[in-house]
Amino acid sequence: MAILVDKDTKVITQGITGKAGTFHTQQCMEYGTTFVGGVTPGKGGQEVLGLPVFNTVAEARDATGCDATLIMVPAPFAAKAILEAEAAGIELIVCITEGIPVRDMLEVGMIMRESKSRLIGPNCPGIITPGECKIGIMPGYIHKKGNVGVISRSGTLTYEAVWQLTHLELGQSTCIGIGGDPLNGTSFLDALAMFEEDPETEAIMMIGEIGGNAEENAAMWIQEQCSKPVAAFIAGMTAPPGKRMGHAGAIISGGKGAAADKVAALEKAGVVVAKTPTDMGDAMVQAIKAAL
Amino acid sequence: MNIHEYQAKEILKKYDIPCGDYGVASDAEEIKAVVEKMNLDAAVVKVQVHAGGRGKAGGVKFAKTREEIFSVAEELIGMKIVNEQTGAAGVIAQKVLIADPADIQQEYYVGAVIDREKAQPMMILSPEGGVEIEKVAATSPERIMTFVIDVDGSVEDKDLEDAAMFMGWNGDVAEQGKTVIKNLAQAFTDTDASLLEINPLVLTKNGDIEALDAKLSIDDNALFRHEDIAALYDPTQETTLEVAAKDHDLAYIALDGTIGCMVNGAGLAMATMDVISLYGGKPANFLDVGGGASKEKVAAGLRIILQDKNVEGILVNIFGGIMNCMTIAEGLIEVSEEQDITKPIVVRLEGTDAEKGKKMLADAAMTMITADTLAEAAEKAMVATKTARK
Repeated sequence: MAILVDKDTKVITQGITGKAGTFHTQQCMEYGTTFVGGVTPGKGGQEVLGLPVFNTVAEARDATGCDATLIMVPAPFAAKAILEAEAAGIELIVCITEGIPVRDMLEVGMIMRESKSRLIGPNCPGIITPGECKIGIMPGYIHKKGNVGVISRSGTLTYEAVWQLTHLELGQSTCIGIGGDPLNGTSFLDALAMFEEDPETEAIMMIGEIGGNAEENAAMWIQEQCSKPVAAFIAGMTAPPGKRMGHAGAIISGGKGAAADKVAALEKAGVVVAKTPTDMGDAMVQAIKAAL
Repeated sequence: MNIHEYQAKEILKKYDIPCGDYGVASDAEEIKAVVEKMNLDAAVVKVQVHAGGRGKAGGVKFAKTREEIFSVAEELIGMKIVNEQTGAAGVIAQKVLIADPADIQQEYYVGAVIDREKAQPMMILSPEGGVEIEKVAATSPERIMTFVIDVDGSVEDKDLEDAAMFMGWNGDVAEQGKTVIKNLAQAFTDTDASLLEINPLVLTKNGDIEALDAKLSIDDNALFRHEDIAALYDPTQETTLEVAAKDHDLAYIALDGTIGCMVNGAGLAMATMDVISLYGGKPANFLDVGGGASKEKVAAGLRIILQDKNVEGILVNIFGGIMNCMTIAEGLIEVSEEQDITKPIVVRLEGTDAEKGKKMLADAAMTMITADTLAEAAEKAMVATKTARK
């Protein structure tokens, strides 16, 4: 089934009555995703896009049996929305919202660590299993069904990578945007482990960026545990130290988090690292060839 | 968002953290008022800028007489601090902090940060104060102690006891020190700080623990619930273009190259900068219009880039997801209709409604160079910029 989502996944949207919530739910439905409802507090009983709107996630869960949620709630309320979905037992929580305070995410993190639910994001494009299920804001048409698993901290840069893969006839099993915030629900390691286990995924493309040490940890894991070819790209080679480059997580601080260190760690683990964002697809081709 | 030392100290004082006696002045009259009110005959005078490394840059001076306080303070007001943290443009000190010099017996470091790897707030302590904590971490990591701060801002009593022992505090000094650490953790949490640092924290010869310096950075995303701190935003510490960008809620960072970039998404923006460098160019800025940008926001972004005198050519690289390419086209066209754009613009649109956006640009009277891939766009931007220079 690729990973996490497929054609049987039943999805709701939290914040469905908002402009972005309605628009992207519609886009996902047009792609073929099965949506069964939406949630907006105080708007229960209404209908949007032919879907029933509920006041709470618990009500939506009871009425529809949904197993995934797309969160399109404004930042000040997004952490509460995540926790509400968790409390209702939703298996997969995809939070697109950008700009959630770190302190709110610390609380979310504490609860998610003990939870059976999985959080993807926040501040991410979402997740897509091409041809089956899209829960997120990525343009559907750039994807192609296939066997490359894609993991990324960035949104639009992921589209760039996917578009290159599709042009090279390398389809994707599942693409996950884990988000650009310093604290997120699903890490590179989590996603790598799932792709390693997934029989439909034959190769993995990983897109990282400056800041933190998630890429270094991933490199270590790949070296020890990963049997599949991996290609990578790290954005921010030319970013000046100490400046936060748009993503809250993208900052080179105290000499740590620089792109060069991440590239070195990945290459040491046998990962083919694209030198530029224009040859991410080619790096994947090379990694696959080298593994043959 | 960063705030000034004197503003951070005001917050620390609310949490009963002693910060010594000081005053703030922005002109000769205010200097006089501070000196007379505090009856100073010697002082430490420090520029108030949003950058570290003030001492090394000549922004901290010791004055041994009352006359010297006046001359030193007047010299430091208006001083431009330029270092790695400020970039080439530097920042100008609008104010100085004038402090009663402390009689220092010992210096320490106390700070709180979010440890992203552990996904927890952490307290960092060291008996090595007054130097960069990164240097202590690199040269003598055994001189650093860390412990977790609870999400609600509380700390364990045992951690406080261990901290006092680690810092070498006894008796009354230990009680003072523990109170500072405990209250610092609470202040860090309550203010949604990403960094709260006292360096140095000192023990005076009178046996008092005091904060000699204070640095506070607040999570921008949490400013909506801290109106009092948001009001401390100081536009004089940023370039005019950065201020203009903030007014339109655009992520903008000035860099020192010649190619202006308008991109959607931070990752793609960084990658675009990387490609420009690959083709031998240098980005003049990092401008991310973000996800749900309006036509007005896109237009404002282009105007900001056009105002930058260093910009010789512009590269617009958009991969629409949440962002619609037609909106980008509308914004660009709006600016082209109100002003005569002489600098070359290379546009690459892909993703949501890319074809419709491209058609709008083609139909408009706007002259621009189009590209289909990122590599092509970067190369064309370089060529066009070089041609425009000739």
